[in-house]
Amino acid sequence: METAHIATVGASPVGRTDLPGRDLFSRALAEAFEGLPDPAAVVDAVYVGAQSERYENQIMQGTLLAEWAGLNNRPAERVEACAAAGALALKNAVRDVRAGVHDAVLACGVEKMTAGGTEGATNALAAAFERALEQRSGVTAPSQYALLARRYLHETEATETDLARIAVKNHRNATANPRAMFDHEVDVETVLGSDPVAPPLKLYDCAPVSDGAAAVLITTPAAVSDLGTESVEVAGVGTAANTLAVAERDLTSVEGADVAAGRAYEEAGVGPADVDVAEVHDAFTVCEALLAEAVGFAPEGAGVETVHEPAERSAGWTDVRVNTSGGLKARGHPIGATGLFQAVEGYEQLTGRAGDRQVPGADTALLVNEGGLADAHTAAHLLRRAR
Amino acid sequence: MRGEPEGPLAPEEITSDSAFTLPGFFDALAEGQLLAGRCTDCGTRLVPPRPACYDCGSRAVRLEEQPHTGTVASYTAVYQPPSPFADLAPMTVAVVELDSGARLTGRVTATLEDVEIGAGVQLRVRDPAEVGVDPEMHLSYEEEWPLHEFDLRG
Repeated sequence: METAHIATVGASPVGRTDLPGRDLFSRALAEAFEGLPDPAAVVDAVYVGAQSERYENQIMQGTLLAEWAGLNNRPAERVEACAAAGALALKNAVRDVRAGVHDAVLACGVEKMTAGGTEGATNALAAAFERALEQRSGVTAPSQYALLARRYLHETEATETDLARIAVKNHRNATANPRAMFDHEVDVETVLGSDPVAPPLKLYDCAPVSDGAAAVLITTPAAVSDLGTESVEVAGVGTAANTLAVAERDLTSVEGADVAAGRAYEEAGVGPADVDVAEVHDAFTVCEALLAEAVGFAPEGAGVETVHEPAERSAGWTDVRVNTSGGLKARGHPIGATGLFQAVEGYEQLTGRAGDRQVPGADTALLVNEGGLADAHTAAHLLRRAR
Repeated sequence: MRGEPEGPLAPEEITSDSAFTLPGFFDALAEGQLLAGRCTDCGTRLVPPRPACYDCGSRAVRLEEQPHTGTVASYTAVYQPPSPFADLAPMTVAVVELDSGARLTGRVTATLEDVEIGAGVQLRVRDPAEVGVDPEMHLSYEEEWPLHEFDLRG
């Protein structure tokens, strides 16, 4: 089996922009291919992660973005699992390269969430939940996660202040990330005093509605040599789908993330303690805590300690740094592109390009991207510095 | 539920007359019967019923009428609901565990402050036209389906 490497990455700015989805993609692709041959001379196939056609009334995103990249008559398709779409595109690209089907596959993601305002985004995201009983009860993304948060605060010693500290930490991390949507710090009082969205979740517990696109080129080691770029190995991949309805799951244990990350660790021959940096899907603050526990970084009930320096954490915690990019909360969350923004951060950390947020000596990164309610879909990738 | 098939279901049993499909489930609900699929291998209850158990994979699933009473497992309030529910905001939503152990999500007809984990609730089945949601919400095949909600028990 071939090994799959990230050969180059690129991303558009994240936030509210005047660029439609295809133009955001052009920005991401231009950055990824700066100084390299034309994509047409390199790329064999394209996968596009995109959450919803509601934003731009456009399906056929595989065809459209391949066209915009100059990739005529290449395999090109959209993949969808709400916010896990980006990592699914990455997973498919890795699979094709490992299997020897293609030498170079472009995994990209794009979302133009601001097109329909807050109401448009609320309605588009609600489509990710079970229709017959839950959508028809008026649930939203924040309310679904609030059900997890309420139960987590009930079953553990964690408090709303602990959740607020996760938002504070991720805003602070984002100030060192030039790609981030937000460049300002917030304090605990601001988070706790922000408007209720779905109690106990408040505005600052929630990732923002964002536009953005990201592109990651997956290739064989030989293709990396031809391009002359610095690469990162994708050493482990795992995905798992859990139930769509929130009512049917354990409200405080994201089992699907445990399974998906477990598969990625196993493929790579590593464990949670080997991970130096992790991008986990903090669509809402409580997710960071739940995921830190599910993927084996934290003991049960101690997930909120992602905010502490390793030396200050409870026994049983690893030394991992979580969401150095600022996470979904502060780097931004353009749904279908988020999994690839996580890969961009992993690549930059493992190639020493993370600037003021660089974790010294970072060698191994875990990416955990989720879609629907928490682990309704999880896609996990284990990245390792190329040797 | 006498005369109802016990899985695995044959293809011809999967029709809109069967509560293993959504039309059949909502027909029963409109008449006041809340049905689950009960896995006869592992005991898991699934609402709405479907042909296979998610927990163990068995297709030996049988219909079972559920109690209308239960307790709140978790709850929140939706301040910015999807647009068809705008007139109901802020509305309380809960995951309810019925006395049988089956769980389902639904709106609660009480303010957030009056609800807590463990609070007792009672299922109520409503005509969608009475609830105050925008009828534009309904897909063509959903128009006759009732909406459910929970009242707090005193």
